[in-house]
Amino acid sequence: MSLFTSIRKTGLAVGVLLFAIVTLFAVPVAHAAAGDVKKGEAIYQKRCWWCHGKKGEADGPAAKFLIPPPRDFSLGVYKYKTSDPKVQIPRDEDLFREITTGMVGTGMPKWDDILSEQDRWDVVAYIKSLTDMFGKTPNPPQIDVSKKIKSSPESIEKGKQAFQTAKCYECHGQLGKGDLTKKLKEDSGARVWPRNFTKPWSFRGGYTAEDIFARVSNGIPNTPMPSFAADATSSGKLSVEDRWNVVNYVMSLAEPTSQVKDGQNVIKGLRRDALPKDENDAAWNEAPSTAFYLAPQIIQNDRFFTPTNDLVKVKALYNEQDIAFMIEWDDRTKSIPGDPTAETIAWDTLTPDQIAVQTPIVMSTGSEKPYFGHGDAGHAVSMMVWNSGTTTTPASGTMMDYTGTHKRTQTDPAAAGFSATGSYKDGTWKVMMKRKMVTANKDKDTQFEVGRFIPIAFANWDGSNGEAGSKHTLTVWNWLLLQPPTGKEVYLVPLLVLILLAGGQLVVANMLGKKRK
Amino acid sequence: MQFLKPIIGVLIAYLLIKIGVPFLGSLHHPGTWPVVPTAVMKMYLTFIIAGAFVACTFDEEGYNALITPVVDLYSNPAKAKLRLCAVTAVSLLGCWIAYQYVKPTFDAPVELRSVHPAPPSSVTMWNKSYPLQTLKNPFRAPDKAQLAKFTEEGGVIYYQNCFYCHGDKQDGKGHFAQAFNPMPANFVDVGTIAMLTESFVFWRVGSGGPGLPSEGTPWASAMPVWNTMLSEEEVWKAILFIYDQSGVQPRVTDVVAEKK
Ligand code: HEC
Ligand code: HEC
Ligand code: HEC
Repeated sequence: MSLFTSIRKTGLAVGVLLFAIVTLFAVPVAHAAAGDVKKGEAIYQKRCWWCHGKKGEADGPAAKFLIPPPRDFSLGVYKYKTSDPKVQIPRDEDLFREITTGMVGTGMPKWDDILSEQDRWDVVAYIKSLTDMFGKTPNPPQIDVSKKIKSSPESIEKGKQAFQTAKCYECHGQLGKGDLTKKLKEDSGARVWPRNFTKPWSFRGGYTAEDIFARVSNGIPNTPMPSFAADATSSGKLSVEDRWNVVNYVMSLAEPTSQVKDGQNVIKGLRRDALPKDENDAAWNEAPSTAFYLAPQIIQNDRFFTPTNDLVKVKALYNEQDIAFMIEWDDRTKSIPGDPTAETIAWDTLTPDQIAVQTPIVMSTGSEKPYFGHGDAGHAVSMMVWNSGTTTTPASGTMMDYTGTHKRTQTDPAAAGFSATGSYKDGTWKVMMKRKMVTANKDKDTQFEVGRFIPIAFANWDGSNGEAGSKHTLTVWNWLLLQPPTGKEVYLVPLLVLILLAGGQLVVANMLGKKRK
Repeated sequence: MQFLKPIIGVLIAYLLIKIGVPFLGSLHHPGTWPVVPTAVMKMYLTFIIAGAFVACTFDEEGYNALITPVVDLYSNPAKAKLRLCAVTAVSLLGCWIAYQYVKPTFDAPVELRSVHPAPPSSVTMWNKSYPLQTLKNPFRAPDKAQLAKFTEEGGVIYYQNCFYCHGDKQDGKGHFAQAFNPMPANFVDVGTIAMLTESFVFWRVGSGGPGLPSEGTPWASAMPVWNTMLSEEEVWKAILFIYDQSGVQPRVTDVVAEKK
């Protein structure tokens, strides 16, 4: 056997083996399996009824605390369907997928970790039995995805135009951040906010091109998000080709900095001789940004369960005299009480948008900190707040101290050299806050120290979402580190160590050599 | 070759901490890769290296076996080239370690937290004092139907107050959980309510994060102070539910054990 044939034979064997492995493990897109309604009912009545209700009517004890509300299975209307646009009902695989993956940002969790595949099919069979919408109709065919257009600059450009002609921007905003121009409701009357396309992780029906194509083609039933399939009866229709282009455009809007990075909880403050003039100064562009999740204030009465804003992004720059923060957050609404458009979009009473920055007044030496919510009796915190104002009162900044939730005293912003400016554009608030690094008022103001880890926390109010007073979103303690300018010791110390070690070893070698002789 | 042993030993220990620990963690919580923080790693390595040195130089023989090749390297005229290499390598290594220490970083400080600090012997909530040693869940009724009723009432309380953080699956991954640090407790994990008595849990739920002693970092815990928002009965029923739904048993009280 020549070397050549043996190589070929090995190649063939490896090929066959690879093929076998691939076919063995290639998991086909879940195929509808027959579910057992009785078994599904048992699972449902243990796990699901708390939200979806004992009869599937979306009236479980948790339902009234959730926006979006849980799905009402008695209606048989599902949001995330991939069936052909001509068919009203979803495919069994759609229900299976949502149960498997859950729906980010809603109460609906993913169930694949505790329910087996068969369990999930059983529960699908059960929830289908709660409505007569499905009747005897067989599982509908999937929407045709064979004409997929690969993403390319041209396709994205065409998609951008389709985004305009189909008027996606009326709800999703010019830059896709969901900054809507009119109030939107689910058919049930519940409030609904359009998706922010810069945050792929917030998509609820999957983030592959096929998923989004199905969404654009089918719309999202039960919500104002219309179907754009050409044969649908909606106002803005798009051809199959344009729907693929708009999908590519939507996916091109993803913004990596609008994602919280695991374990990164330090704001990296850099030194600059001159600080930015305002929040739109280009000098901010090179400052590193750190993102933090917001959670609603569900810790003390009055609690608040249905937030809209999900994260803040923060940058910091400083010099000898001053420190400047840049706080950015995507907010679908510019909440200015008195503004007619803002008034019509708002749910509940319209109040101004606000952002607050909290830092301890006394830095402890150990790990001890003030309580993250407004400090506590023994540990005061300082708060800088910016308020977007109304049509009659301008936007403004204030400073105060807290020693517990309702224990507040105003402090003198002028003494701290405090100023705050903010502006709203295309679905994003940018607010810059500036103050002195150190002040004369050591027991009233935080003293910012270079090179020290300073605890820092944030709170945010979306005034169009009924957020005011104790109803707001917040972060827990994170860190701010003002990086010391790279001193000479960074080079000198290693150099010194190098010289000492080399010299020391040579001396020792010399001594040992003499001894040996 | 004697002097290679401790080096290999330290290397294995390093790999165990660097890869082994996160691997075990990932088995326990699939989908995660919990690395050991750099500062903790440095601390462990210091101990391990010191330990390895002590172990190897414990007796005269071991000491000699370790030290002779080194002395030889630094004094043997025939090994001049190798010696130069060793001197350069050691010096550069020292230089690099020194640089790691002084270079500017943004690594957050490590904060250790005692997850289950010792409870007080009694606690005052709802204007009443509860002796934690002997406290029992008054709703753990012997009657099955009654117990089921109380448990379901507890479920309603759980789904109106707790699941945002502790999750529908009691796994600590409610839809707002990701914003909190420490993360909400995972009740299906063996390390939480399964190893606690109901009275301990009652203390924790009733007095919340701020009720912890300082080793439990009360300033960081988002666990609400439930005695200000729920009644005593509601807390007991919620506790019935979290045990039942997560399928674990409370630890029986220490008092029983002490009597023996
Ligand atoms: C904690 C509350 C909660 C629990 C428990 C819960 N769900 Fe949901 N579920 C929701 C919410 C909220 C939605 C709506 C999300 C939306 O509209 O975006 C939803 C939506 C759904 C949908 C609709 C998907 C679609 O495309 O419209 C299905 C199917 C579903 N849930 C099944 C289940 C099953 C099965 C269980 C139990 C194994 C369950 N849910 C448990 C809250 C819950
Ligand atoms: C009338 C308002 C409206 C218009 C016009 C509109 N949308 Fe939407 N869209 C919504 C709403 C509301 C939601 C969120 C529904 C929800 O959360 O239940 C949404 C959600 C989405 C999603 C998210 C799907 C997911 O998996 O989370 C995508 C993608 C989307 N829209 C694409 C588009 C595109 C592309 C267009 C234009 C071709 C468009 N939308 C036009 C209102 C609209
Ligand atoms: C705002 C989020 C939040 C809510 C709401 C919440 N918890 Fe917690 N809980 C936490 C966090 C965070 C921890 C872990 C830190 C700690 O131990 O304090 C925790 C810890 C616990 C522990 C301690 C477990 C252990 O191993 O020591 C128990 C028990 C508990 N929670 C029960 C409940 C119950 C019951 C409710 C509802 C009545 C509830 N929690 C509501 C956040 C929350």
